[in-house]
Amino acid sequence: MTAIGALGAVTANVRPVKPRQRGKVVATLLVLAAITVWAGLGVQIDLPEIVANFSNAVGNVVQLTQPDYGFFPKTIPALVETVDMAVIATVIGSAISLPIAFFASRATNPNTWLLMGLRFVMNLIRSIPDILLAAILVAVVGVGALPGIMALVIFNIGIIVKLVSEALDGEDTGPHEAALAAGASWLKAGRSAMLPQILPAYASQVLYTFEINIRASTVIGLVGAGGLGILIDNVRSFFRYHELSLIILEILLLVVLLESFSAWLRKRLI
Amino acid sequence: MADIQFNHVGVKYPNGFVGLSDVTLDIPAGSMVGVVGLSGAGKSTLIRSINGLVPISSGELNVGDHRLSNARGRELRQLRSEVGMIFQSFNLARRTTVLNNVLMGRLHHTSAWRSLLGAWQHDDVELAMSALERVEIVSKAYEKASSLSGGQQQRVAIARTLAQQPQIVLADEPVASLDPPTSHVVMRDLQRINADLGITVIVNLHFLDLARTYCTRLIGMREGRVVFDGAGADADERVFESIYGRSLTAADVLEAKAEL
Ligand SMILES: Nc1ncnc2c1ncn2[C@@H]1O[C@H](COP(=O)(O)OP(=O)(O)OP(=O)(O)O)[C@@H](O)[C@H]1O
Ligand SMILES: [Mg+2]
Repeated sequence: MTAIGALGAVTANVRPVKPRQRGKVVATLLVLAAITVWAGLGVQIDLPEIVANFSNAVGNVVQLTQPDYGFFPKTIPALVETVDMAVIATVIGSAISLPIAFFASRATNPNTWLLMGLRFVMNLIRSIPDILLAAILVAVVGVGALPGIMALVIFNIGIIVKLVSEALDGEDTGPHEAALAAGASWLKAGRSAMLPQILPAYASQVLYTFEINIRASTVIGLVGAGGLGILIDNVRSFFRYHELSLIILEILLLVVLLESFSAWLRKRLI
Repeated sequence: MADIQFNHVGVKYPNGFVGLSDVTLDIPAGSMVGVVGLSGAGKSTLIRSINGLVPISSGELNVGDHRLSNARGRELRQLRSEVGMIFQSFNLARRTTVLNNVLMGRLHHTSAWRSLLGAWQHDDVELAMSALERVEIVSKAYEKASSLSGGQQQRVAIARTLAQQPQIVLADEPVASLDPPTSHVVMRDLQRINADLGITVIVNLHFLDLARTYCTRLIGMREGRVVFDGAGADADERVFESIYGRSLTAADVLEAKAEL
C-alpha cells in the first residue's frame, strides 16, 4: 500500500477536474416536463362525460359484484388451458433463452457484432406488446392455444435473455478468465465457470416470467389466442356481466395463488 | 521443453499506456522465478503476456514451441493449456463444487458436448482428484468452493492448474489476499510443484523476503522495465533501491513464519 503512494507521488497524484453534469440534468428535466404536458393534452381527459355516464356505470358495477357461480363448470376448460399455456410457454421460453443469454452478454461473448445484433433483436421483441404479438400469430396460425403459446414464448425469450444476460454482465469474470487461461474456449468457459454462478438468478427469472405468463395468458385470449381470454370476449359481447364477474374473480384468485407460490419458491432460491 | 524467451518485448495497452518496454529475458524450463516491483511496475503485465492474456505489441516472445505474437484461436488455447495460472483473488466459481473447479483445468482436453453436459471423463476426474490430493484438500472435493477459507481456495486454484498438467505455472500475487502463515503454506505448495514436478514457476510477489526465501531467481521490475535479474542472494540494498526507488522498510517484508 505504501508502494502505491510512493509511485503515485511521482506520476499521477494530480486531482482531476470534477466532470460537470448540471446542464444534462436540467435538459432532462425540461424534456420530461414537456412530454408530460403533451401527453395530458393528447389523451383529452373529459371529466364531464365521465359524470354523465355515471348511472349507467353503476348498474354494470353492481352486476360485476354479483358473480354467477353456476357458470363455474363452463369456465374450467378455459381455466386449465390458461394455466397450461403459461406452463408450456415458460418451459419452452426459458429453455431457449438460456443459451441465447450467453451470446447476449459481453462477459461471455467476445464477438461485438453478434452481441449487438442479438441485443437489437431482443429489444425489438420486447417492444412488441404481448397482445399484439398474439393477434399477429392468431392471424398466421389460426385461433386457439397454439398462437397464444407461441406469443408467450417469443415474449419470454425477450425478457429472460435480457435479465439473464444482465446477470452475466454483472457477474465476476474472474473464474471465466481462469478457465480461458487454462485453454478453454469461450463456450466451454461460459458453461463451466459462469453458468453455475448465474443459475439461481436464472431460476428466479424463470419463475418471474411464469408469473407474467399467468397474467398475460388470461388476456391474450381476447384476440383469439386461447385460454380464459376467449371466454371473456364471448360473455362481454353479450353483456353477461355476472359471468364476466366470475371470470375476473377466477383470474384474480389464480394470479394471486400462483404468484405467491412462485414468490415463495423464489425466496427459497436466493 | 518449455523455455520462455522474451526478446525486446514491448506491451502497449489500447489506451496508449506502455506496460512493458524492451524486456529481454531467458527463463529456462524448471526455474523458480520471483518477480518483484512496486504496484504498477508491470509485474502482472509481464506474467499475463506469457499466456497471451495481454497481447504483446513489439518484439518476440516464445513459450516452448509457440510464438506469442501469431498465436490465436486454437493455437493460443493449446499454449494456454500448457500454462497454468493462479490469481490473487483465486478466481473460483464459488457456487459450484471444488471438484468442478479443478476440472476446469481439463476443459481444453474435453469435447464441447461433454463440457456442455458436464459429463467429465473418468480419467479427468481421477486427475483432478489426485491434484487435490497433492495440495492436501481432497476431502473438500464435493463441497462448494464458497465454503472454503481463502487459503483453501487458493490451494484449489493450484490444484486446478495442476490438473492441466502444465509445463509452466504463472502466479500473480498468489498470497496477497492471505494471512502470513497461510501465505507460507501456499508458497511451499508452489515450491514443491517446482521441485517435485519440474514445472517452471513464475510468481509475482509484493514481499521481497517471500521472493528471496522461495525463489532461486529474482526479477525486479520498475516502470515496465527489468531493472534487476539475478539470484535472490545478490539482491542487496542497492539493488533494492533500484527496484523500489527507496530503501527497504518493514512494509516490504512478511516476517511471520509458517505454522506447520
Ligand atoms: N488494461 C489496461 N489498460 C491500460 N493500462 C493498463 C491496463 N492494465 C494495466 N495497465 C497499466 O499498466 C501498468 C502496469 O500494470 P500491472 O498490472 O502490470 O502492474 P503490477 O506491477 O502488476 O502492479 P500491482 O502490484 O498493483 O498488481 C499500470 O500502470 C497499469 O495502470
Ligand atoms: Mg499486478
